[in-house]
Order: sequence, then C-alpha cells, then structure tokens
Amino acid sequence: MSKPVTIIMIEDDEGHARLIERNIRRSGVNNDIRPFTNGTDAVRYLFGTDGSGLAHKDEALLILLDLNLPDMSGIDILRRVKENVHLKATPVVVLTTTDDAQEIKRCYDLGCNVYITKPVNYESFANAIRQLGLFFSVIQVPQAET
Amino acid sequence: MDFAISTYVDFPQHDELQVTASAARRRELIQVLLLTAGFLVLVAISAASIVFVDRARDDSSLVVHTVEVENQIAAVLLDLRRAESAGRGYLLTSEPRFLAQHDTALANIHANIRRLRELTLDNPVQTRNSDALQAAVETRLNEFRETIASAERKDQQGGIAQLRAATAEDTVKRITEISNAMRREEDRLFAARTVSADRSQQWASTVTIAGSGLVVALAALSIFLVRRSSRARDDAEAQLRDSNLNLENTVTERTADLREANEEVQRFAYIVSHDLRSPLVNIMGFTSELEELRGDIFKRIASLSHPAPLPQPSDVEAATAGLTEQDAKLSDDFNEALGFIKSSIGKMDRLISAILHLTREGRREFQPVPIDLRELVEGIVATVAHQAAEADAQIRVQPLPTIVSDRLALEQIFSNLIDNALKYLRNGVAGDIAISGETKLGFAIIEVTDNGRGIDAKDHQRIFDLFRRAGPQDRPGQGIGLAHVRALVRRLGGTLSVSSELDAGSTFTVTLPVKWALGRQGKTA
Repeated sequence: MSKPVTIIMIEDDEGHARLIERNIRRSGVNNDIRPFTNGTDAVRYLFGTDGSGLAHKDEALLILLDLNLPDMSGIDILRRVKENVHLKATPVVVLTTTDDAQEIKRCYDLGCNVYITKPVNYESFANAIRQLGLFFSVIQVPQAET
Repeated sequence: MDFAISTYVDFPQHDELQVTASAARRRELIQVLLLTAGFLVLVAISAASIVFVDRARDDSSLVVHTVEVENQIAAVLLDLRRAESAGRGYLLTSEPRFLAQHDTALANIHANIRRLRELTLDNPVQTRNSDALQAAVETRLNEFRETIASAERKDQQGGIAQLRAATAEDTVKRITEISNAMRREEDRLFAARTVSADRSQQWASTVTIAGSGLVVALAALSIFLVRRSSRARDDAEAQLRDSNLNLENTVTERTADLREANEEVQRFAYIVSHDLRSPLVNIMGFTSELEELRGDIFKRIASLSHPAPLPQPSDVEAATAGLTEQDAKLSDDFNEALGFIKSSIGKMDRLISAILHLTREGRREFQPVPIDLRELVEGIVATVAHQAAEADAQIRVQPLPTIVSDRLALEQIFSNLIDNALKYLRNGVAGDIAISGETKLGFAIIEVTDNGRGIDAKDHQRIFDLFRRAGPQDRPGQGIGLAHVRALVRRLGGTLSVSSELDAGSTFTVTLPVKWALGRQGKTA
C-alpha cells in the first residue's frame, strides 16, 4: 500500500498560496500541503542538508512550483528535481503567471508534468486548480524504486 | 511600444569648413595672379627684345655706313692718284693709252664724289667736309686739265712747270687734310656707334636674362603654392575620411546604446507588467472570495431576520430574497462595489496583457522573405469576409507590389488596418474599403482607404499612442492596434501616416522599403 501523497507548494505569494490551497480543498483533496515561500527553504527540505534528496527516497511527493521566486528561479528547482536520482519521478506542476510560450516549452523540456498559467479571472483560476485536484486523484504517484 | 530616443551626432564645425573654403579661394586667386604676372613678364621680355634687336640692327647699319663712307673717301683719293699719274704719263710720253686711263679715272672720281656726297647727307659736318673735298678735287682736276692741255699743245716744259707750281702742292695738301678730317670724323662715329650697338646688345641680353629669371621664379613660386594646396587638399581628404570613420563609429556606438536602452526598457516593461499581474491575481481571487462571503453573510442575515427559514436560494443574486428593504439596499451597495472592483481588475488585466504582448512582439526576430502583398492582403480580406458582410461593406484589393519583409508583421499591420476600417464605418452608409499600392524610389506605398466616420485632425497623432482612442467610444478595443502597427512599420524601416476628416473617411498610408534587410533591424517596437 502506498503512502499518502504530500503536496509541496513552492509559492512566494502568500495570497496565491492561500487561494491555491482553498481551491484544492474545495475540489475534495485532503492531502498534506507543505507551503514554502522561498526557494532556499524548499530546496533544503527537498534535498536535505547534504543535497542528495535521500530523505525523501520512499516518499510520495507532488510539487506545485511557482517560477518567479524571490531568491531563485523556479526553473532551477525544476531542473534539480528532475536530475536527482531519488526525486526525478516526482510529478511537478508549474503554476505561474508567465504565459510566455518559450518559458512553457523550456519547462516541459526539463520534465515538468503540468504547466498552468495563473489566470487573473478567478473563475478560470479556481477551475484550473479544481482540475488539478481531479488530476491529483487520478494520478498514480510512482514509488521511487527501492 | 516605441521608445524614441533622439540621436545626436557630432558633425564637423561649420565655421571650420568656411575657413577652409576661404583659404582655398585665396590660394586660387594667388595662382591666377602668378600666372598673369608670368604672362606679363614674358610679354615685356618679348617687347623689349624686339626693341633692342631693332636698335642693334640700326646701330649695325650705321657702323656699316661709316665703313662705306671711309671706303668711298679711299676710292676718291685712289682715283685721284690714278688720274694724276696717268696725266703725268701722257705728259711725258704723249701716248693716247695714258689719256684714256686719265679719262676713266676722272669719270670714276665724279661718280665717287657724288656717291660720297649722298652718303654723308645725314651728317652736316661730313656734308660740309665732302663739299670742301669736292671743291678741292675740282681745283685739282682743273690743274689736271691744264696739264693735259699743255701736253696736247706739245708744251712739255709748260706742263712740267705747272706740275712744279706751288698751287698743286697746296691742293694736294688740302685734299689730304679734308679726307683725313673726314676719316677722323668717321672714326669717331664708328667708335660711338660700336659702343651704342654693344650697349643695345647688352641691354637685350640683360633684359632676357632678368625676365627669364623672373619667369623661373614665378614658376617656382607657383609650383610651391600648387604643392602646398595639394598637400592641404590631401590633409583635408584625410580629415574627411577620419571624420567619416568617426561618424560611422559614433553612429554604430549610439545605435548600440539605443538598442541596449531599448532592450532594457522592454525587459523593464515585461517584468513590471508581469509582476503587476501577480498581485492582480490576489485582488481578483480575494474579491471573488469576498463575493462568496457576501452571499453567506446576507443569507445569514436573512435567516436571522426571518425566524422561519425560507427555502435556501443557491444563486448569489437570489440571496437578497427574504431581506428587509434596508438589508437589500446594503446588499446592492455591496454588489455595486464588488462589480466596480471586478471590472477595473478586468480592464487592468487587459492592459497588462497588451503591454506583455507588445513587449513580446518587440523581441520577436523578423525574417525577411519575398511577399506578394496582394496575396497577403486578399488572405486577410477572406478572414474578415463575414464581418464585412455584416457591416454591409465591400473591400476592394487593387494590384499591390511584391516586397521583401517579415510576413507575420505585415499580416498584423494590414489586418489591424482593415479591422479598423471595418470597425469604424458610418452607421447607415454602405462601407467601401480600398487597398491600393505603388512603388516609388525603393519604397512601397500602400494606402488603406475607407469611407467611414473619419478622424478629427486633432486626434491624428493621438490615435497612434498606446491606449488612446478617438471619437465616440462605442466600439470594443483597448487602443493598442495602431500603436502596435506603427511600431511594426517602424521596425520594418517604414512610416505610417493618416489623412482623414471627420465624417469623410480615412486613408492610412504605409510606406515600407521594397527590400528590407535583416541588418537594419532595430528593436524599437
């Protein structure tokens, strides 16, 4: 039996974080959500102090990632996650305001699983998050190979 | 967006150029003066030479004349001697041979005396002398005649006595004196004339040498000046080359600066608009949350004011049901406030999106390809055929040139212009939109003409500004289209202008280079 998935939310804007969380909850997803408001803390949590990511070897994680972080680019976090032996199977959902086609392509090239542009229109926003909730419920978060 | 930054380029100072020009004029004048002076000197030398040569010839002929006079005197004396000795011979021998000789000599003497008289006509002294000589010679000839007469009378003794007479001695002596005087006079004249001839020749050679020297000096000066001016010209050319090079460098430098500044502005616009969006998501999100809360609050108020719960309406608008009049008013105010907030956010979002879109367009690299404009415009017209039919408008595409440019940019330019033409037709008037073009001096000039509502002259500049619109605001739009079109046209090295009158239609004129090269791409959009 698989462990419940922990959602890692890396989002510097607390308002966005709150809105995302609310809408995830509204869609009926009750998994743990660990919010990080900056890249440094998130990286420390994900890769541990030694940077190996061994701590989360057997954990089922899902990362919600904003690209515009105050201390580093979300792209770097995405690259590191996808290059890490223990974390590369972790699904990454990029959730950001950037709708630049080149940026989106770059994220998919690096191995991002879903890219969502935060719409200003709240209904679309809520809708996107709810869709994401549906996605969470059907997604089979793969176990890191033991 | 278009960030126009004026360029300032250093040109060579104007007065510096003027100084150079006046110096060149002065040099030219000096050259002309030198040439004129040289020519005048040559003329003077020639004239002087002619004068002096003429004088020398005169002098020489005078010298020759003197020699001739002396000859003539000698000839007279010689013939006199000959006549005398022949006369004596006849007296002694009475042979007719001597008499013939004597007669010949007499004839010669007469001829020679006449000749001498003629020759000495120019000199009064010599004329007098020659008259005296003639008189003396005549006396002597009379004596001869008497001697000859004695001989013919066979009076030998009388003749001899005559010869011995003192008068004969006197006459001979006189003739000798006169001829000597004449010779002296001629010698004096000879010496004087020789000196004069020498002087004339000396003058001629002096003048020739001095003149030649002067001409050579003038030529040297002229050569020096020509060389100096050619050196000055070389210097000026070098300077011009340098300043051209500098100018090019300056232009390149400034262009690079401008490009950098522009890129920075674009990055700035991009980041700002991007970062503005983030809080906007929150404002919109929490406004919606508030809206939901409002529904909940007024539902509770309703349930509190009516102890008997009414059937719960789920719709937000229906949430006012069951409220007291006062509460319903509160709820309306609430709704109104939220409505304004939401519509403002919507507007702000559209503006930010427009800026993002423009900055993104500005960063797009253009690809020049050959484009048949007519084909391109007809393609656009086909996509708006439905709108045209709805607006009761016809679109006529006239022959258009083929140019080398960026396809996507041209599509955006002409679809914006045609869209505008369709959008701002006059109500109740059948639309007539024409797209025509021609090529002139390497530029394609394309006109999009409509018979629509037109634009007031005071708005002709304004309509090209971002977020600015003209006329009644009864059509959807952000005021972006024309700003975008103008930015694109400028990036393609062209210009966009409008001529229009209110209620008389508009003509937008797009001027584009027929052959646009990638190298000239400035990121100014």
